[in-house]
Amino acid sequence: MSENYFGSAIRRRIVFILIIGMIAIQTFQLVNMQLLEKDKYEEKSKDNSIKSFSINAPRGIIFDRNIEILVGNKPSFTIQITPSKYNSENNKIIELVLGVNSGYVNKLLKKFRKYSKFKPRTLMRGVDYKIISWLEENHSMLPGISYIVETKRDYTFGINAAHVFGYTKEIDRKTLNKNKNKYSIGDDVGFSGVEKKYEKYLRGEKGREYYVVNARQKIVGRNNEGKNDIAPIKGNDIVLSLDYETQKIAEELMNSSKGSAIALDPTNGEILAYVSSPQYNLADFAGVTSTALWDSLRNDKAKPLFNRGTISMYPPGSTFKMLVAMAALEKGIITPAYQVNCKGGLQFGNRFFKCTHFHGKVNLKEAIEESCNTYFYKLILKVGIDNLYEYSKKFHLGEKTGIDISPESEGLIPSRKYYDRIYGKGKWTDGYLLNLGIGQGEIITTPIQLAQYTALLANSGVSKTPHFAKGYIESLSNEFIPFEYDSIKVDISKRTFKIIQNAMAGVVSSQNGTAHGVKLDEISISGKTGTAQNSHGKDHAIFIAYAPSVNPQIAVVVIVENVGYGSTFAAPIAQKIITTYLENKKNSISELINFDKKEVN
Amino acid sequence: MKIGAKLKDKFDLVIILSVIALITIGIVAIYSATYNHPTAKGNLNKQIFFVMVSFLILFIIYFLPARTFRIIAFPSYIFSLLILVAVLFLGKTIYGAKSWMSIGAIGFQPSEFAKIGLILFLSYWLTDSKRDINNIKDLLLTVLIGFIPILLILLEPDMGTAIVFASISLAMIFWSGLNLFGLFVVLSPGIILFASLFGTIPFIATLLLMLVALFYFKQNLFISGAVFVVNLSAGFIFDFLLKILKPHQVKRLQSFVDPTADPLGAGYNALQAKVAMGSGGLFGKGFLEGNQTQLRFIPEQWTDFIYCVIGEEFGFIGSIIVLAIFLVLFLRLLNLASVADDKFGKLTIIGILTMFFIHFTINIGMNLGITPVIGLPLPFISYGGSSLVTNMFLVGIVLNIYKNRKHHVV
Repeated sequence: MSENYFGSAIRRRIVFILIIGMIAIQTFQLVNMQLLEKDKYEEKSKDNSIKSFSINAPRGIIFDRNIEILVGNKPSFTIQITPSKYNSENNKIIELVLGVNSGYVNKLLKKFRKYSKFKPRTLMRGVDYKIISWLEENHSMLPGISYIVETKRDYTFGINAAHVFGYTKEIDRKTLNKNKNKYSIGDDVGFSGVEKKYEKYLRGEKGREYYVVNARQKIVGRNNEGKNDIAPIKGNDIVLSLDYETQKIAEELMNSSKGSAIALDPTNGEILAYVSSPQYNLADFAGVTSTALWDSLRNDKAKPLFNRGTISMYPPGSTFKMLVAMAALEKGIITPAYQVNCKGGLQFGNRFFKCTHFHGKVNLKEAIEESCNTYFYKLILKVGIDNLYEYSKKFHLGEKTGIDISPESEGLIPSRKYYDRIYGKGKWTDGYLLNLGIGQGEIITTPIQLAQYTALLANSGVSKTPHFAKGYIESLSNEFIPFEYDSIKVDISKRTFKIIQNAMAGVVSSQNGTAHGVKLDEISISGKTGTAQNSHGKDHAIFIAYAPSVNPQIAVVVIVENVGYGSTFAAPIAQKIITTYLENKKNSISELINFDKKEVN
Repeated sequence: MKIGAKLKDKFDLVIILSVIALITIGIVAIYSATYNHPTAKGNLNKQIFFVMVSFLILFIIYFLPARTFRIIAFPSYIFSLLILVAVLFLGKTIYGAKSWMSIGAIGFQPSEFAKIGLILFLSYWLTDSKRDINNIKDLLLTVLIGFIPILLILLEPDMGTAIVFASISLAMIFWSGLNLFGLFVVLSPGIILFASLFGTIPFIATLLLMLVALFYFKQNLFISGAVFVVNLSAGFIFDFLLKILKPHQVKRLQSFVDPTADPLGAGYNALQAKVAMGSGGLFGKGFLEGNQTQLRFIPEQWTDFIYCVIGEEFGFIGSIIVLAIFLVLFLRLLNLASVADDKFGKLTIIGILTMFFIHFTINIGMNLGITPVIGLPLPFISYGGSSLVTNMFLVGIVLNIYKNRKHHVV
């Protein structure tokens, strides 16, 4: 530097350049940030100060076939605690009012410590209205305690049908992790029955509310006056095929028994009534289910949590005889005139296979009406295992029906292969078959399989997969959208069906019929009694039936466990279910006709 | 017009008008940052009070006889050192630095007033006709004058103010005609220190460059060796600083080197300030409408981060106007440094310019994310009494020098 003197021009210039340069750099950065990258910073600034809260959507309603409410929603009060405002001196009084152990509030507060203390957290759900009024009265003394109204399931419409509807439960971590985009922590989700199967229809769509928060995450107001908020969309309503009155009667009739009762429309597989008894009380599952209740349900010997209608497997007993008969008729092995002389049983090898009575000479119709075992011992020897298996499969016995609740058992129809595997090839004889002929032994079926079998018998081999849900009512458009189900067609001649249907009518109408006791003057009922042998205790009573005998509208299966013979216990229940449904239907049709007349007038 | 011309002759309107503009902008911004704040609501009234006090001080200074400043130069320097020592024993610790002292109800920062002492004494010392800045002994003595208060301030520790003191000393030495080698001697340790912040390799590379430069200057071996040793040791000052600096200050330094390392910690303020600035856009979100400001995402925004209130609520237009007013002020001060009649006046103005400029550079820089977060207020705009009174005191000196530019002061 040549001008090494005070305030030389070059030093002036250096200072000048420094000033201009610095302000140029700052201007450059301003242009960059405020003009070019504005959007990026704006986004960040919004992220900073706008927080959204999701609003739960009410679940869809569950209706019966006539749009009567079966399961609804009701308001549920949830007490919340905002840790930043809360004064822990109130612990004692709050715990006393809520009826919880001391330390409850502190335990939860400790849990919430990980999260923002300005956000309200759930202290207790499903709180009684009285507690809420107390809270309102003492509001000023309880800072940081508030409540919100949520919805919970309402089961007060007179139908429990626990195994049909199923229950909802707070989503578990595993399910949550799989469905992170749909659910968040604390959401209720269908855990069994229709609630589980139709979860995606019933769930609805959550809404969102946007709030402005400050740097400490404290809410200072609504964003854009709530104009950006998204209202929750209520779940779609599910319309079940259940008939309210029929279901109600079925539940009452089965109330004191163990077993199941299933009624369906044989023409289309729609389930009209479904009871698995004993049931649990769904209302206990509406709020928070205590572990004590869980334990008592789990340890109950009557297994109330167990869905007997689709899971329990019983030998079909004498109700299986029609299948043996059809196989014989279709294969041309016998004609309906084929007779057997029943002398109280059949001697086969060194074993005597018993009949219930000494029936004397019986033809096919009489053998079914009177449930003669001897006849079918003889018949099964003629039909053989392969034909039996083939025809069982035609009626989808020993396989899942595909009903729209789960889980479902398969049951078992033994085949030649099965016997070869179990006993070894050539090591079993026809003697093994005799029991199969009367629906005992290795054969096991579920009640829903029997119901489907009955429907197919009633409607001459044409029906649809048994199901609960007819469709759903779309929440936004209010439009009913039906579900489609697979048709079932059993490849058996009309003539054969006619013969069997005649015999089944005789079971009730004939003087000697095993279910003559349930005969009615006004409604013709066809049916078949059965007894499922039970090596663990008393036998199970089975009755399958349909009515009216011509153009049947209802098919019923009733299984009552550990009571013995079918006609005494199961048949009257089936009869009552049938009459309730048919009378109710008649009434509603006449109502409809009267209504039309009024319109005309 | 005659009166206008006469006033213009006695009173530099460019300086005073730009200062008034900046103070006004500051009051608007402080209002926005505090009107809704639970604890800082009163700051606006306090600031208005300090504005009035500082104008009073400015006029008192303006009317003082020109030679006053030479007379008080040395005593005010000594007084500055005394209060800087006193604050270390009697001071109150705020934000990890022992920089506050109170007399009665009034709290103040001694280091703010010490700036006046440093500028006046350095001016006086450097413009003494016996002094030759290119004489190594005089240079070292001059450096020592700057270094004593810097050391005291580093003990508080207040790195920002230390940087201001260092910059003032350096600029005034530079203006006095220091030659290139002298400049190298003064500057190189600082450059080495800065390089060492970024790791061993930049440190060694810079050190090698220094060696090359030393060979270029062809000074005698003793001086060259001494300079090299000073440079080498400067590289280890950072490690030494790590020991004396408070953890939050170390974090701030680290977050400058790598701002993303700790976005919720030390880098938080810088990040939020950038978001506030950037989201303002061209016209800003409007007065009292900035969500970053109003929702208090930036703590104590009325002090060091006042500029991003303007950036957020008045956008690019508002931000650039502030820069423009400062530019006018700086260039006018630089101009006055030549207009002033004597060397003492000229150098004093250079000291004052440097002080304003370094505050401005670091403060605006940290709002824009181009300098580390070093707690320095933006002159005339940030809230703060000590700073405002000191700044107006210095403006008073400038105006006084301008008024007396035609009389040679003996």
